[in-house]
Amino acid sequence: MSPDELLRRIAQTLKQEIGPAVLEAYPKTQAFMASVVLEKLARQIELAPAHAVAERSEVAALESDLNAFFANDAPAGVAAAIAGLASAPNSVGLDAVVAALYAARNELGTERFEQALGRVRQTLRAGVDRQMVYAA
Amino acid sequence: MSQQTNVNDALIARITAYISSKLPQATGLRLDGVERIAVGWSHETWLFDAVWEEAGAVRRQGMCLRRDPGNALLRHLSDLGEQYRVLQALENTPLAAPKVYWFERDTAILDAPFLVMEKVPGSCPNPWGREGRAFYQAAADRGVLPQSFTHTLATLHTLDWRAAGLEFLGVPAAGTEFARREIAKWRELIALSEHPPEPILTDLIGWLEANAPSSSRVTLVHGAYRTGNLLIHDDRISAVLDWELQVLGDPMYDVAYVLSDLNREGTPLLSNLVDRDAFYRDYEAATGFTIDDEICRYYNALYAMRSVAFWMSASGLYAAGRSQDIRLARTRWSVPVVLDRAARELGY
Repeated sequence: MSPDELLRRIAQTLKQEIGPAVLEAYPKTQAFMASVVLEKLARQIELAPAHAVAERSEVAALESDLNAFFANDAPAGVAAAIAGLASAPNSVGLDAVVAALYAARNELGTERFEQALGRVRQTLRAGVDRQMVYAA
Repeated sequence: MSQQTNVNDALIARITAYISSKLPQATGLRLDGVERIAVGWSHETWLFDAVWEEAGAVRRQGMCLRRDPGNALLRHLSDLGEQYRVLQALENTPLAAPKVYWFERDTAILDAPFLVMEKVPGSCPNPWGREGRAFYQAAADRGVLPQSFTHTLATLHTLDWRAAGLEFLGVPAAGTEFARREIAKWRELIALSEHPPEPILTDLIGWLEANAPSSSRVTLVHGAYRTGNLLIHDDRISAVLDWELQVLGDPMYDVAYVLSDLNREGTPLLSNLVDRDAFYRDYEAATGFTIDDEICRYYNALYAMRSVAFWMSASGLYAAGRSQDIRLARTRWSVPVVLDRAARELGY
């Protein structure tokens, strides 16, 4: 049995056998909530490998697009954040890029800022769409 | 008998001793119908009737005790001492709110700070459950409760907060200070949660800071005005509850919360109860304020930031072992749900 299947089984036991047998309201709620947590965790674990591959691919494409967009003319903080995506192709690296763009907003001007941020947002949307598969 | 039952019995005995000490004329005081209600995210809430004899007569008073075990979702931003002061201040205003009796910061009494207030008659149906939704739909059809909802908010926004002594909540300067204060508050809670960076949240905060609206009107703002935080009796609001997020500031902050999709499920009715057009008409007539849709949209995005802060804080408390409440662990998956909503607010 895989870890995600095991978690689903435990969740089912909590929901169908343990929860209904608890009489007091507070612990009964806790039993049902535990089953919800385990179901979500199971789905997240099941999808994690595929999601990690997709995220690395999308962040690499973003890095390439931003480098092309700025063409060696990015403000220093933005350039450093984009370069950081290679070693942190994840939410940490993406967060640094977003923060750097806002910090350089005046220097970039409205049009360049919005174009660059718009491209980053495509990647962020794809990421949150993946998370919604197990979170919603 | 379970360990939990033993703990509760010991606590009930200590509550009984405390209330007896506050009512020196009372004899034979006991607590009837003690119930810990599984609502709220910050404090333990206990409901009971205190029954005692005084001057030859039996007296009964419904009471509500809220105890802060130190692991509140809002952390230091939720202070029972402040709630006590707010409820005291509201006592001499037209707003329906529970009368507050006592507040104790001394942890020797019940292991944690607590306050005791009146148990106001009424019920507080959960708007997220099937029964609650049916309750509010039926009330919407009758039409009395929706008007009470709107008029109570208007009363809250038009009460004389200076005369009531609520200035201690902090008066924002005209301009963008109110919005900036809220952003700073929720930033602080996010930082305390020690949650990994979330780039959509960083984007949202950057946008909120760049677009903070200017406001000049200052009223009391509840901060979470919706069904579920309002006690209902005889088809009217009998008390406004949940005084944890109140501030002085732009009343549109509350209006935006009423208008928000966050507070209704599967119905166009605001807060599962109020027709949108009727709300605009009745609120504007009762307050003399014009609802500013653009500012409300901004505050809706600010609520997304606040929701992220709540859920990060909640899941952080569970992760750090400061709370055993599994509902808090569940909120780990509420973070992406709100971030998805935030991204949509920003147009992606």
